[in-house]
Amino acid sequence: MTAILTEGLTKKFGNLCAVDSLDLSIEKEIFGLLGPNGSGKTTTVLMLTTLLAQTKGSASICGHDTLLAPEKVRDCISYVPQDMAVDTNLTGRENMLVFARLYGISDPKDKVDELLAVMELSDRADDLAKTYSGGMRRRLELAEALVHEPEVVFLDEPTIGLDVAARRSIWNHIRKMTKKGMTIFMTTHYMDEADQYCDRVGIISHGKVAAMGTPQELKSRLMKDVVTVTLEGEYHPVMLEGAVFVGESEGTVSFTAGNGREALPLLADALKQAGNCVKAMSLREPSLDDVFLQSVGKQEEPKGFEEWKFRMMLHRRN
Amino acid sequence: MKGVATYMYRDFIRWIRYRVGVISALVLPAAWLLFVGLALPVTFTGNYLDFITPGILVMTILTAGISSGSLLMFDKILGFLNKFLAMPVPRESILVSKILFISVRGLIQATIIIVLAVLIGATMMNPLQYGLVYLILFLFGVFISAFSTTVALYLDDHDSFAAFTAMVTMPLFFTSSALMPYDAMPGWLATIARVNPLSFAIDAIRDVGAGGVPVVPILLLFVFTAVVVVMAGYVFRKVTV
Repeated sequence: MTAILTEGLTKKFGNLCAVDSLDLSIEKEIFGLLGPNGSGKTTTVLMLTTLLAQTKGSASICGHDTLLAPEKVRDCISYVPQDMAVDTNLTGRENMLVFARLYGISDPKDKVDELLAVMELSDRADDLAKTYSGGMRRRLELAEALVHEPEVVFLDEPTIGLDVAARRSIWNHIRKMTKKGMTIFMTTHYMDEADQYCDRVGIISHGKVAAMGTPQELKSRLMKDVVTVTLEGEYHPVMLEGAVFVGESEGTVSFTAGNGREALPLLADALKQAGNCVKAMSLREPSLDDVFLQSVGKQEEPKGFEEWKFRMMLHRRN
Repeated sequence: MKGVATYMYRDFIRWIRYRVGVISALVLPAAWLLFVGLALPVTFTGNYLDFITPGILVMTILTAGISSGSLLMFDKILGFLNKFLAMPVPRESILVSKILFISVRGLIQATIIIVLAVLIGATMMNPLQYGLVYLILFLFGVFISAFSTTVALYLDDHDSFAAFTAMVTMPLFFTSSALMPYDAMPGWLATIARVNPLSFAIDAIRDVGAGGVPVVPILLLFVFTAVVVVMAGYVFRKVTV
């Protein structure tokens, strides 16, 4: 049973197409949905979590259709929105107990203790959540989301607004969750995090998938590595398989290579043999940022802003 | 219904921890009782305290209930509602819990007022009469909070909602039979007061105090309440699907 499966999933608000024929198949992995603001990420998550009905197409979670069997879908998912919705006047434990009871867990107290320990919140469990740091509130939300042992967890910007240490800790916990066989579907703006932690990413732009694959695949498919060489004296041309000469200017020569790390030493040898005097070489690997910019293109701010559409979207989203 | 008790527990703890809210909810009606009930020089009735207590009870339920829509609204604005809606708990239990929580909270405030009124000189009633008073107040509480929640779901932003409650509460109170009997009012006011839902509940409670059992008003109140609850349920479903 595929954890998340969509076919031609489409959502229109008036004549604005927020999500356009999305086809996804996600199974026991960390899947990151990347895209600029307003590209349809949140709309997609809302449809998959049964909070919004699609205009066309279908989506199923663990084999249950989101429109035909929404209760069954809700049974096997958890959704953590980006708002950090934690009751600040309740203690961490009380927050957890509310969720455990709502999910009808048979031994709520034990389950809550167990998850508070997993999320390293045990020693602060009886303090009011308003005394928690941003990272702790996020961990509390993750703990709440795990209370009924869901198969699929939806995280909307899980690390937004957190410091480096807190982000790393959240990611370590998310990693642990997948090791237990959960599927994580998340949206993020942090390309470095998506690169480092996601098994697969999809980049969407204007509601359409612009690129999808492992971060490695996307980087090597869309971009080549750039090798820049600084020379002493004149450039004597070299021919090397896998490296393409790009240009020469003021003592530096650049090449592109399919795999820069491998090309670098070969290129150094070839240059020396041809009689060049190499002073320095640098290699720049493409980052997911490059992939993102290349597949999303130059972003235009929406023109001819129509207020009713905006209101309609807000109304639907909140 | 599954989940209702848990949602109510959550709202109750949040209310208790927010101490200023609790104190304000108790001070305001007590102030009315003391300053208006004891101080107003009134000639149309012997014990003005007995006359005004039903009015203040209903006003308390009104002010407690009319703002109830903001509970659901803030859950929505802060992202709680989406979390709850993505859970396997029946979605309607969110709405039911809010309405019940507000009504029960209103009854707690009403109890304080009843005790205070008796302490400062109102006539004590028998348990059956108190039971009827609570029934009327509960029905009225459900009526008001369901109405307020429907409006909140409809208006969708907090400033408009605050403006709405401010606009509704005071005029509704002053055009009801809370402060004076119909025959002491100018003619135009009496006409408005007779169709005001507040007067409806107030008159029923006065009837109980006078030894009657207002069967028809209670049944009518029940029907109105049912209609508003169904309306709230309809709007809630429309907004959340």
